[in-house]
Amino acid sequence: MPPASTQPRVPVEERLFSLVLALLATETGLTKSEILSTVQGYRQKYSISGDNANLERQFERDKDDIRDLGVPLETVDSPGQVGNNHNLRYRIPRGAYDLPADIRFSPEETTLLNLAAMVWREGSLSGESRRAILKLRSLGVTPDEPVLGYAPSLRVREAAFEPLSTALEKNAIVRFSYLKPSEADAQLRTVEPLALIQHQGRWHLYAQEPESGATKTFLLRRIVSQIVLTGTTFIPPVGNHAARALEELDDVWNSHSAVVQVEPGTDASTRLFKRRSTTALPNGSFELHYSDINIFADELAGFGPEVLVVSPAALRAAVLSRLHRTAADHA
Amino acid sequence: MPKKKLMPQKKAGPFQAQDKLTFLLSLVPYLMDHDRVSVTEAAAHFGVTKDQIREAVRLIGVSGVPGETAQYQHGDLFDIAWDDLEENDQIVLTNLVAIDDSPRFSAREAAALIAGLQYLSGLPEHADRSTISSLMSKLARGATGSPSEVAVEASETDMTLALIRDSVERGTAIEFDYLNSRGELERRTVDALRVESVDADWYLRGWCHLREAVRTFRIDRISEPALTDEAMTFGADDVVLPDTLFEGSADDLMVTIDVASAAAPLLADYVRDGSTTTEINGRLRTSVRVSHYHGLKRLIASMPGVATVIEPTEARDVVAAWAAAGAARYDG
Repeated sequence: MPPASTQPRVPVEERLFSLVLALLATETGLTKSEILSTVQGYRQKYSISGDNANLERQFERDKDDIRDLGVPLETVDSPGQVGNNHNLRYRIPRGAYDLPADIRFSPEETTLLNLAAMVWREGSLSGESRRAILKLRSLGVTPDEPVLGYAPSLRVREAAFEPLSTALEKNAIVRFSYLKPSEADAQLRTVEPLALIQHQGRWHLYAQEPESGATKTFLLRRIVSQIVLTGTTFIPPVGNHAARALEELDDVWNSHSAVVQVEPGTDASTRLFKRRSTTALPNGSFELHYSDINIFADELAGFGPEVLVVSPAALRAAVLSRLHRTAADHA
Repeated sequence: MPKKKLMPQKKAGPFQAQDKLTFLLSLVPYLMDHDRVSVTEAAAHFGVTKDQIREAVRLIGVSGVPGETAQYQHGDLFDIAWDDLEENDQIVLTNLVAIDDSPRFSAREAAALIAGLQYLSGLPEHADRSTISSLMSKLARGATGSPSEVAVEASETDMTLALIRDSVERGTAIEFDYLNSRGELERRTVDALRVESVDADWYLRGWCHLREAVRTFRIDRISEPALTDEAMTFGADDVVLPDTLFEGSADDLMVTIDVASAAAPLLADYVRDGSTTTEINGRLRTSVRVSHYHGLKRLIASMPGVATVIEPTEARDVVAAWAAAGAARYDG
């Protein structure tokens, strides 16, 4: 015999599971009062004559939680009562819920996806990747045993990443203070987030200014305040923003080049040579590319006497002033 | 190089309600495809404990839809072979309701996997770009909404990683020139055990024939890698790798550093467990553990104006001399 199903306290997951099952099983949808009065986990708390305000709020939160998981919970008007909010009906259309039949993954692909999920195992998006893997396992495919073991990890150190990814999801306009290295004070920015991209190991926000419509790229590490999600939403322009943002960053990268003398056989020589798009010049110097002069100057300063910047003059000056600063701070 | 340590981040704790719901919605289609499966096998497949499987299966067994009577009648519920579960630890679904197939990915889940694939694009396993792009488009089509715009710059297949993989496939050691962080060049012969990464930094962990110990090598410090004909002494199954990339040792030096709070995360990897951090004049004072000062001077010189070594004096002097030598190159 199964254990009794009506216990005094129904666990959250049982209530959510029952809600999904009930809404998947209905073609025409269920009204809120039908749900609250009949679905396991709600019905136990439902009062026929009384006030169900708490239970209604619970249902609203549950709907959000379920939608977060990618379950397409939708509302439809009751037949003959279009526009009547009190008689909205809720359902989960099967076609939009079920993983399409042609989307299946080979053992090799499953291995790659497991690795891709492992990348996020700490911090940001760890919940998403964990749940994606559960769904992947649902398909019953056993991954190939990889030849070489990998333990990749991407740790987003910037606190701004998580609220910004939420804002992206909700198309919410955000506000934050941004400190440009050339400016003494941080500026308050209000923007529409379009994409979060990682370029050369650094996370950037690609966003649009509400008034001008101009797109801007912000380095997450230069955001010096909390991210405020304003209550206002926007309609993002059509297009693959992440791809465009990466292209723009590549253009910036390619357009900035520096010539640096590097002592052979040093740490600088090995590591700078392996840097993306480095070329060794006939005289032994390296031509290097970079996105941001201040960040690159920090990186080069770390190599101390192993490097000497030849050009551009601004980078040369930036590295030298950093070395003087460090020497003075430790005198 | 300073002892780099994976900081304890917020650990994936016990399943939260959303994880449990996802697990239930994922377990049902798996069980539907398996007429009979043991609790042990299902637990191994999903990477969860046997208790988590049993608990979920018992819940599935009593769940269902309100049905026409709105009373959760017997036929409106899933059912399982209860005796098989309780006595044989076997799972058999005997009645199905509501669920036909695996759930789609959410937009964020698909985005996480797509960005993860992009991050890994330097791996030799990703060399077949058409497989990867078809995989990404399948993920996008398998999501409820269009995947969130989160992307990581793709990279070329890393030739060193490709060679490391080949060496493991052949069962032989790999050799390469390696500059240790003291700046000394050595030819090392290594049995590759695992490749790890933290953000933009990639590491090879392997059995070093020279040191006769497990060592961690930065991939970007490796040059002139080559396959050898020397059979591997140890494989990945023979060696238990420590959790942290770099092990501390009794000879480690403690260094006190003041760091601007905005830059503190850059030092987080070097901060010793249990060390106290105090705020002094708007800066955080903390102590880090290093094996020698050669790595420390590079780290501090790459954080000009935001990190200052306070003590010991010897460490301050090493940093000052390094920066001064760098500056001196610009004289004349």
